[in-house]
Amino acid sequence: MIAESGHYALVLALALALIQSIVPIVGARWRDAALMNVARSTALAQLLFVAASFAALVTLHVTSDFSVANVYENSHSLKPLLYKITGVWGNHEGSMLLWVSILALFGGLVAAFGNNLPLSLRAHVLAVQGWVASAFYLFILITSNPFLRIANPPLEGRDLNPVLQDIGLAVHPPMLYLGYVGFSISFSFAVAALLEGRIDAAWARWVRPWTLMAWIFLTLGIAMGSYWAYYELGWGGWWFWDPVENASLMPWLAGTALLHSALVMEKRNALKVWTVLLSILTFSLSLLGTFLVRSGVLTSVHAFATDPTRGVFILLILFVFIGGSLSLYAWRAPALKQGGLFAPISREGALVLNNLLLTTACATVFIGTLYPLALEVLTGEKISVGAPFFNFTFAPLFVPLLLAVPFGPLLAWKRGDLLGAAQRLMVAGVAALVAMALVFAWTYGGATLAPLAIGLAAFVIMGALCDLAERIALFRIPLSLSLRRARGLPRATWGTAFAHAGLGVALIGIVCETTWNSEYIGSMKPDDVARVAGYQLRLDGLNPRQGPNFREMVAQFTVSRDGEKVSVMTPSKRNFTTRGASTTEAALLTRGASQLYISLGDTSADGAIAVRIYHKPLVLMIWWGPVLMAFGGLLSLSDRRLRVGAPKPAKAAARALQAAE
Amino acid sequence: MTRKQRRLTLIGCALVVLAVAAGLVLNALRDSIVFFSTPSMVAEKHLGPGKRFRLGGLVEQGSLKRGDNLAVTFTVGDGGATLPVAYKGILPDLFREGQGVVAEGALDASGVFRADTVLAKHDETYMPKDVADALKKQGHWKDDYGKPGNMPSASAAPTQGAMR
Amino acid sequence: MTLWFVFALMTVAAIFAVLWPLSRRGRADTGGSEVVVYRDQLAEIDRDMASGIIGAAEADAARIEISRRLLAAADQSGRDTPGQGSLTLRRGAAVVALVGLPVIASSFYLALGSPRLGDFPLAERSRVADANQPLANLVAQVEAHLEKNPTDGRGWTVLAPVLSRLGRYDDAVRAYRNAITYAGDSADRRADLGEALMGSAGGVVTADAKAEFERSVALNGDDAKANYFLGLAAEQDGRKTDAAALWQKMLAKGPSDAPWRPLVQAALVRVGGSAPGGVSAPALPDGAVAAAQDMSEADRGSMIKGMVDRLASRLKTNGDDVEGWLRLVRAYLVMGERDKAMSARADARQAVANDADRLRQLNEGLKNLGLDG
Repeated sequence: MIAESGHYALVLALALALIQSIVPIVGARWRDAALMNVARSTALAQLLFVAASFAALVTLHVTSDFSVANVYENSHSLKPLLYKITGVWGNHEGSMLLWVSILALFGGLVAAFGNNLPLSLRAHVLAVQGWVASAFYLFILITSNPFLRIANPPLEGRDLNPVLQDIGLAVHPPMLYLGYVGFSISFSFAVAALLEGRIDAAWARWVRPWTLMAWIFLTLGIAMGSYWAYYELGWGGWWFWDPVENASLMPWLAGTALLHSALVMEKRNALKVWTVLLSILTFSLSLLGTFLVRSGVLTSVHAFATDPTRGVFILLILFVFIGGSLSLYAWRAPALKQGGLFAPISREGALVLNNLLLTTACATVFIGTLYPLALEVLTGEKISVGAPFFNFTFAPLFVPLLLAVPFGPLLAWKRGDLLGAAQRLMVAGVAALVAMALVFAWTYGGATLAPLAIGLAAFVIMGALCDLAERIALFRIPLSLSLRRARGLPRATWGTAFAHAGLGVALIGIVCETTWNSEYIGSMKPDDVARVAGYQLRLDGLNPRQGPNFREMVAQFTVSRDGEKVSVMTPSKRNFTTRGASTTEAALLTRGASQLYISLGDTSADGAIAVRIYHKPLVLMIWWGPVLMAFGGLLSLSDRRLRVGAPKPAKAAARALQAAE
Repeated sequence: MTRKQRRLTLIGCALVVLAVAAGLVLNALRDSIVFFSTPSMVAEKHLGPGKRFRLGGLVEQGSLKRGDNLAVTFTVGDGGATLPVAYKGILPDLFREGQGVVAEGALDASGVFRADTVLAKHDETYMPKDVADALKKQGHWKDDYGKPGNMPSASAAPTQGAMR
Repeated sequence: MTLWFVFALMTVAAIFAVLWPLSRRGRADTGGSEVVVYRDQLAEIDRDMASGIIGAAEADAARIEISRRLLAAADQSGRDTPGQGSLTLRRGAAVVALVGLPVIASSFYLALGSPRLGDFPLAERSRVADANQPLANLVAQVEAHLEKNPTDGRGWTVLAPVLSRLGRYDDAVRAYRNAITYAGDSADRRADLGEALMGSAGGVVTADAKAEFERSVALNGDDAKANYFLGLAAEQDGRKTDAAALWQKMLAKGPSDAPWRPLVQAALVRVGGSAPGGVSAPALPDGAVAAAQDMSEADRGSMIKGMVDRLASRLKTNGDDVEGWLRLVRAYLVMGERDKAMSARADARQAVANDADRLRQLNEGLKNLGLDG
C-alpha cells in the first residue's frame, strides 16, 4: 500500500502541476484574484504530495521492499540503514524524484513566503514553476518511474556496491540539486517578467534572495563533491575538470554573474535585459547539467542510446525549455524598457566587467565540456579535453577578474573614481607585494608563477578587508566609533567582504596544493621509513582485520617530525570477499590547513606494500574558501533589507522559517 | 560621454574579452587535446614515439607483470591488435585483467606505451566510454557488460554448455 | 479496499486545494506591491550617503530617479487592482478541478500502477527456501549465507555451477576458486573453473583457463571436460593437428556411450581430423571457418552477420528446424542483440507451436540459453 500510495501521490502532483500551469495564467489574463491565488494553494498541495511520494520511496528502501523494481535494483537487505536511505537518490529514478521534490519545495516556499510579491507576478512565477514541474513529472512517470513493481518479488536486492557506500557521496547530490533547482525560481521570475512585459528594480529585489539561496547551496555542493573526490578516490586530486564537475561549475559561474547583475538592476535599474537572459541561461545550464549527468551521455554515448525514450524525452525537455524561453526572450525582451545610464568607470561598470569575465569563463568551460561530444557526433573522432585545456583558458580569464574584485565594492555607483579606489587599496597592494616577495624569497629558485598567484590572493583578501576598513573609517576616527559603525554596517556588506575574501583563500589553497605538493610513491616493508616534507613516516606493520562484510588490511604508520612522534595514521585496503571488490581507504592527518595523505596499493609477493604518501600544504584552504563564500552569502541573505516590504508574519514559526530562507 | 559612446565602450570591452577568450580556446584546443586510440588504431595510424594519446582496450588476461618498486607492465588488446604498456605507480582498485582500461601517455622508441595515468572502470557498472564504443565497433561488446548478472549471457555459448 | 479509500481521500484533498481559493472571492489577499521596495530604496540612499558610498550629488540624482519610479509604481498599482473576475471563469476552473484532476490522476495511475500488489517489506517475508521461488532468489539466499560464512566450501561448490549457468562468470570464477580453497582440489572443479574463466573471456580459452585445464588433467588424465577444452585451446591457437590428436585420443579411450562423444566428433570434423563412427553435421563448412581465421576483425564480424542473416531467412521459410532456431537465438545473444534474440524466440515458438515435441525441445534449449519464461 505504501508503494501504491506513493505512486498515486506522484500522479496527483502531476495533475496539480498541470492545473497550476494554466489556471493562474488565465486568472492573470482576466485579472481574477481568486484564479491567480489558485497558484498558491496548488503549489503547496503539490509540495505535500511530492513529499509524501518521496517519503514513501524512502520507506520502501528502508523496509527493503523488493517488490519495487527500483528497490530491488539499487538496494540490498545487508546495507547499513544510512545507505539504504541515501541509496534512494543514488540511482537515476530516485534522484529524479528528489529533483522534483526540491522543485516543489521551492515552489512551495515562493507560495508561502511570497506575500510581498504583486499578485500577478506571483501567479506567473508559480505557473512557470508548474510548467517545469509538469515536464519533470511526466518524464519520471513515463520513462523513469521509481514505483514500478515486480509481480513475483525477489528475496534479495542487487546492489551492495561498496564504492558507493560513502557519506560524502550521499550528501552532496542533494546539495547540488538544491542549487540547480533553486535557479529555477530566477528562471520562473524571468519568464514571468517576459510574459508580463514588465520588469523593474523591484523585480530584481525579489529575485535576489532566491538566487542567493540557490547559489549558497551550489557553492557548498561543489565544495563537498570536490572534497569527496579528494579523500575517497585515493589519489589526492580535488578537481579533475571532469564533465560531471564541469556540469556543476557552469551554473555556478552563470549564477554568480546573475547575483551581481541582479544587484545592478536592483540598485540602478540598469542591465535589465541582460539579467533576464542570465536568469534563463543559468537555469538552462542547470538543466543541461542535470541531464548530461543523468542521461549518461557524457560517460558513454552508448548509455544514452540504450534507452532511447529517456534520451529523446530529455532532449525534448531541454529543447522546449531552453529553446522556448530563449525565443520568448527574443520576442519580448526588446519591449522591456531600457534602464539607467552609467559611466564605464563605476560600480555598475565593475559589475559589468565581472559579468563579462564570468560568462566568458563559463563559455570556455562549456566548449571544453561539449566540444568532444559534438565532435564525436559529427565526425566520429574521439578526443579528450583534459585539465590543460581548462588551465590555459579558464585561468587567464580569472586573473583579471580577481584583480578587479577588490575595486568593485570601492567604486561609487553611476560614476566612480578609479584613482581614489586605487589609493584606498594601497594597503592591499602593499600587502600583496610583501606576500609575493616573502613567498618568492622562501621558495627561491622554485616556481615563478606561484608567488605571483599568492600575491594576487593576498590582494583579494586584503582588498575585501580594506573595503570594510574604509566603510568603518578604521584608524581615521576613534576606535569605539569605528566599532559602532561596524555594527551598523549592512550585513550584505559583510557578506560581500566574506565572499570575496573566500575567493582569495581558495586561491591560496589551490596554488599551494598544486605547486608545493610533495609526494612519495614506493613500496614499503614493515619498519621502512618514508620521508615526506620533513615528516618521517614509519610503517609499523600490516594487520588484517575482519569487518562486517569485508576483510581489510590495515597499515599502521607512525608519523614523526624531528624525532618527535606526531600521530598514528591507519590507511587500509578493504576486500569485499563475496563480490570480489576492493576499496582503498585513505588516511588523512590534518596539521593546521595542511594535510598528510596516505593511500595503499597492492601487496607484493615479498610482503611489501605499495604506498602513496602526499603532503599537501594548505590544502584545506581550497574548501575553506567556498565555505567562507557560502557564509558570506548567508550573511547577505539574512540582511533585513532584502526582505523589506514583507508584512510581519503572524506566527513565530513563520518568522523562524523566514529567517532560514 | 553620450549614451551611444558608453554603449560602444561596453560593446568594445565585451568584444575584446571575447576575442581573448576565443584565442585562448583555439590555442588550447590545438595544444592540449589528446586523441583516443585502441591498439589496432595505433597500428593503423603508425603513431610515432612521443606523441601523447589515450590508449583504451581490455587488459589481456595473464599479461600483468609486476616489477621492482611499483613498475608494472601489461598488454592492452582490442581483439585486433595488442600493445605493451609500461607504468610505474599504483594501479587503481578496479584494475583487473580482462577488464576495460584507459591509459594516457606516449609510445617510446621501442614501441612500448609509457603510461603516466591509468584509469580503470570507475565503478562496477561503468565501462570507460571510449573503450566501450571501440569494442562495440569491433563486435567484442557484451551487451550485458554494464549490469552484471542482468542478462544470463550466452557469450560463450558456441563452445560452452554442450558438455552438460 | 483501504487502498482505494486512501486514493479517494488524497484526490479529495487535491481537489480541495484548487477549490479553496476559488471559494474565497474578492477577499483573497491582493499581494504586495513595488511601492514598498522603492520606499526602502529611498531609505537606503540615505544610509549609503551616511556611510559615504555615494556623494551628495549622486544621492540627490538617485532620489529623484527613485521617486519618479515610486510615483509610476503607485500609479500602476492603483490601476492593477484585480477586478471582480468573472464567475464563468471560476466555475470553469472548479469544473477542471472536479473532473480534470481525477481523470488525469486515474488515467495515469491505472496505466502505470499495480493496485493489486500489496507491500512486501523484507521483515514480513519468510526466508524459507521454497520450490516455487525463482532461481535468482535461491542464489541470492545462498550468496547472503556465504557473505556471512565465507569458508563454507560446500556452499561455494553448490553455488558455483549455478552462477556459471546464469552467465555470471566472474562470480562463478570466484565461487569455484573459493570452493577449491575450502572444499579441496579436484579435477572436476579445476575443469569447471577453467570453463567459467573461458565464459568470462567470451569463450576464448585464455592462458588462465588453460592453466586450470592443465591442472585438472594433471589430477585426472581422463577428465573429459578438461581434455576437450585443451583441444579447443589448441584449435584456437591454430594448432589443429594437436587438437585433432587430443580429441582422437579421447574418442579412442572414452567409453562408447559417453554423452560427450557427438560433440567431440563434431569438433574433430571441424579441425579436419577423421573420426571413427557417425559424424554429425558441422555448424559451418570448413572452408568458411578457415577463411574466417585469416580475416580481419571487422570482416569476420560481417561474415558472421551474413551467415546469421542467411540462417534467419532460411528459418523463415522452413521453421521446423529447432536446432537452427536455437543456433540463431544464441548467435544474436552473442552478438549482443538481445532484442533480435527475443523476437527470434517468439518466431520460433510460433513456427513449432503445432508440434508439442518440438516445442518442448525448443523450450529446453531456450532454457539452457537462459531465456526461459
